[in-house]
Formats: sequence, structure tokens, C-alpha cells
Amino acid sequence: MLEYSEPVAKLIDEFKRLPGVGHKSAQRLAFYILRRPEAEVENFIEALREVKEKIVFCDVCNNLTDVNPCMYCASPTRDRSMICVVEEPYNLVAIEKTRSYKGLYHILHGSLSPIRGVGPDELMLANLIPRLMPQNNEGIDVQEIIVATNPTTEGEATANYIARLLKPLGVRVTRIAMGMPVGADLEFVDEVTMDKAMTNRHDI
Amino acid sequence: MLLESLDAQNFRNLEGKLYCGKNLNIIFGENGQGKTNWLEAIYLLATTKSFKTVRLQEAIRFGEELAIVRGSIQQSAEIRRNMQVALQGNTKTLAINNKKETIHRYLGELHTIVFNSDELEIVRGGAEARRKFLDGGIVSIYPPFVQTLADYNRVIRQKNSLLQSAQENGFSVEKTAELLEPWNEQLIALAARIYKARIRYVERLQEVLEKKLFGKEEVSIRYVSTLEGKGDLSDYAALLEERLKLRVQAELASGHSLIGTHRDDLDILFDGHDLRKYGSSGQQRSALLIIQLATLSVYHLQNHEYPLFLLDDIDAELDYRRIGQLLEFLSGKTQTFITTSKESFVERFGAGAEIFTIENGAVKTL
Ligand SMILES: [Zn+2]
Repeated sequence: MLEYSEPVAKLIDEFKRLPGVGHKSAQRLAFYILRRPEAEVENFIEALREVKEKIVFCDVCNNLTDVNPCMYCASPTRDRSMICVVEEPYNLVAIEKTRSYKGLYHILHGSLSPIRGVGPDELMLANLIPRLMPQNNEGIDVQEIIVATNPTTEGEATANYIARLLKPLGVRVTRIAMGMPVGADLEFVDEVTMDKAMTNRHDI
Repeated sequence: MLLESLDAQNFRNLEGKLYCGKNLNIIFGENGQGKTNWLEAIYLLATTKSFKTVRLQEAIRFGEELAIVRGSIQQSAEIRRNMQVALQGNTKTLAINNKKETIHRYLGELHTIVFNSDELEIVRGGAEARRKFLDGGIVSIYPPFVQTLADYNRVIRQKNSLLQSAQENGFSVEKTAELLEPWNEQLIALAARIYKARIRYVERLQEVLEKKLFGKEEVSIRYVSTLEGKGDLSDYAALLEERLKLRVQAELASGHSLIGTHRDDLDILFDGHDLRKYGSSGQQRSALLIIQLATLSVYHLQNHEYPLFLLDDIDAELDYRRIGQLLEFLSGKTQTFITTSKESFVERFGAGAEIFTIENGAVKTL
């Protein structure tokens, strides 16, 4: 038996598909929607439709974009000799905010995790290797692949997999450094971070 | 560190306050009166966990909403801190000096070592209890080791999941080996760190082990790697890498990670005999005490202070001669809390000790 009338139950079920939304939250969201004015809900529906219609994966780097290739891949000012590999589009946004990286990106949309059924074939990796050929990169040789996956066991496994994959091609593969958050007082850095930072120390 | 006083509200059946002695504290009472609950309260204050249950809400007195355990800790001549654990439903709130603290900040203020019948798993149970004993000891002197263990366990879980799906999908040994590589590479690095840390910790325990504390029988310990006899252990990472390569087929067939530090063990020998198989219950208790005393000493060498030592029902299977030898060893070292239901125990060891008589959870005033 359904707890609610069919349309409500259906909406709750759809909300429950969203990541991090359990039954209780799904109910709250559904009843929130039911209480909103019609016009507001229309806007919401329109936003959902628009994002699905207009946003596509960039054929080159897998970024989510409304132009294909995306603004980074199409830009004449980016350094085409470097590709930074990240797990998610929001990781790209975080790196862009630094304004210190001018190269290209490649987005995997995930990391290796057998527990969640994610193997190499589930990552958007297949289109990375062709990018290393100059004829696919406006005639420019890719000199370095920077692997900026998360410092988790899954991110490390992914980095490791990519390094093995690219090794026979002779391209330089680097891993971003892990350690202390800058601007943080040493006192407030937890022991684990401090330990990693000490292990990864370098000459100055 | 010194626990000066302890009080509890709505925590099990406890009432009132203990003003603790610097050395030996005897918590005396008939069974079922709440002696062990006081030890549990100290343990909760130190670790924010219970040694009796994983569901802490069970410890809130029936019909009450909020349980509080509070302690005053003397950290040094000048520094006193009030620690508090509050339980409400299944939420736990921690505070130091009446200010809310994260668990990360809270832990580390007060350390305890517990001797009770559950801890006997170390000497008579499976290898897991002994690995936990070693790892806990290492974390107490080197806290970042927690992350190494967590990462290692995560890698093992991922690897097991991979092996199971490879089995279900009928993958070849070659394909499985290739998929395993990114996980095995991390496994090797983490296992090498765990192996090194455990070997070093066992060496430190051996250096301070009071082998013959209780008489002529000698207690000895030895770390046993599953890679023993398979090659040169002095380069553990290289040996593990080699073994992992050789065993892909076996791991695929079993669907589990078969090699690594999660399979290692600690041998505890009593006069050269395996304590698990041949030890009497009294010998097992003696051996457990001897290795726990060694963890106290290693902790002291590292941190220049002793953890609190909590002993539950120690007189159940340990004779007074041994208890006397134990208390003599601890005297002037640890702040010790012992529960007993025997008046003869109080008569024999009560001189110079703080004695609390517990009735219905409360300290009986004489
Ligand atoms: Zn792109």
C-alpha cells in the first residue's frame, strides 16, 4: 500500500534517487514543492529541463559545458602542453580559482572504487590518450599530465592507474603535493595532516 | 595526569562523586551494586566510549533524557581541566572546561588501560584481538598511525570487493592482476608502515617486559608476520610485492585479500608454550597483566607520564600473592582503580589506598 497518493509517492521516490537524500528528506522536499506557488515550481522545472538540454560533456575534456568544446579546450591562451586530471567538475572550479594554472583539464567524473562498482571502464578516461597526440592538440605536444585526484585511497588508486596507463607513452606524469593548508596556524593542523606534510617536506 | 574527582548524573545507576587517591583506589561493593559502572564512567570520560556496549544510549538511566559524566583532571602542578561527556539519545557532547570540544581535541587529555574479562581475548582469542592491542598501543604513542590503519582497512575492503566482482565476472588472472595493481601498490606502502611500526612497538615492549613478575614462569612475545619463511623480511615491501604477484590466482579463487598485515599475529608464550592452547586461566591473566604493564611502561617512556590503569574483578582468578606483586610494581607509578567484592581484599591491600564502598551506585559514607 502507498503511504501517499500516487503522484506524491512518485515525487518522493524521485527525490530519494538524489545523492545524500534519504526517505525523510525526500518527504520534506516533496511537501515543500507541494506548498510552493505554481510559478515557482515552473521555474524549477524549467531550470532542470534547461540544464539537461543545454549542458553537455565536452568531447575533449569531459567538462560540463554549454559550448562544445568547452571554454578551456577552445581557449587560444591556455597552455596546451599541460593537462590536469581531476575527479569532478567542481575540482576544476577550485583549481581555476587559484588563477595559477593555465593548462588544460581532463575530468574523470569519479574515482576507482570497486565497492561502488567503479572500475577503469566507468571512468571517462578513454578520450585522454588520444589528446596526447599533437594532431589532436593543435599540433602541440603534451609535456606533462598533472594528476589532481583526491588524497583518498580511491584518489590514490586512480592516480596510480593513470600513471601506469601513461607510462609507456613517455609523457611526464606528476601528482599534486598533499599537506598543510596555507594560512592555517600550525597549532590548528591535525596530526594526520601534519604527519603527511612532514613526510612530503622539501628543501628550501 | 591525575583524575582528582569524578561524578556522574543519570549514568547507569551512579550517584555522587568520587574523590580519587593518587595511587591505589579500591572500589568495593557487592555484585550488581555498580562497581564496574564507575570504571566504565572513567573509561567513558577518557575515551568517550564504553567497554560494555557500543550503544551508549543504553547507559542513560531508564526514564531520563540526559546522562553526564564529569571529571577533574590534574595535568600538571598548575593545570587542572574539567572534562565532561554528556549523552542524550544517541548524541554525545564533549566539553573541556565547560567549552564544547571536537572529539579530536578531546581525546588525548586522559589515557586509560583496562584489564577485564573482555581484554582476555588478547591472550586467548583470535589474532584480531592481538593486532588491535598492538595497534592501540602504537596509536597511544603515535596518534597519526590511526590514519595509516584506516587507509589500510579501506584498501583491503576495496581490494576484497574487486576480487569478488572479478570472480563473479569470470575475469582471467591476468586481467585481475592488472586491476589489482593500483590497490596493491597502496597496500604495499601502508602494510610496510604498519609492519615496521608493529615490529618496533613489539621491540619496545620486549625491552620493558617484566617477564618473571609473577614467579619463575617466563612470558615472552614475538611478532609473527604471515610472510615469515617466505623470504627476506628486512625488505618487507619488496617481499610483499613479490608474494602479492605470486598469489593473484589464490586471491582470485578465494575472493579475499590473503596477504598483508591484516593476517599477522602476536605470539604470547608462557614458559615457551603457546598460551592460547596450553595456558590455564590464571596463567592467561598473568600474561595479559605482564604485557599490559609493558604498554604502561612504553607509554611512560614516550610521554613521561602513566595512563590510568582500570582493573575489573581482578581477584576472580588471580591469587593474592600475584595481586601483591602487581600492586607493588604499580606503586608510585600509575593511578590505579580496582573493583572487588571481597572484604579480605580490602583488608589485605587497603593500607594507603582510597577505598570507596558502593551501594546502589552511590559511594556509601561511613
Ligand atoms: Zn573541454
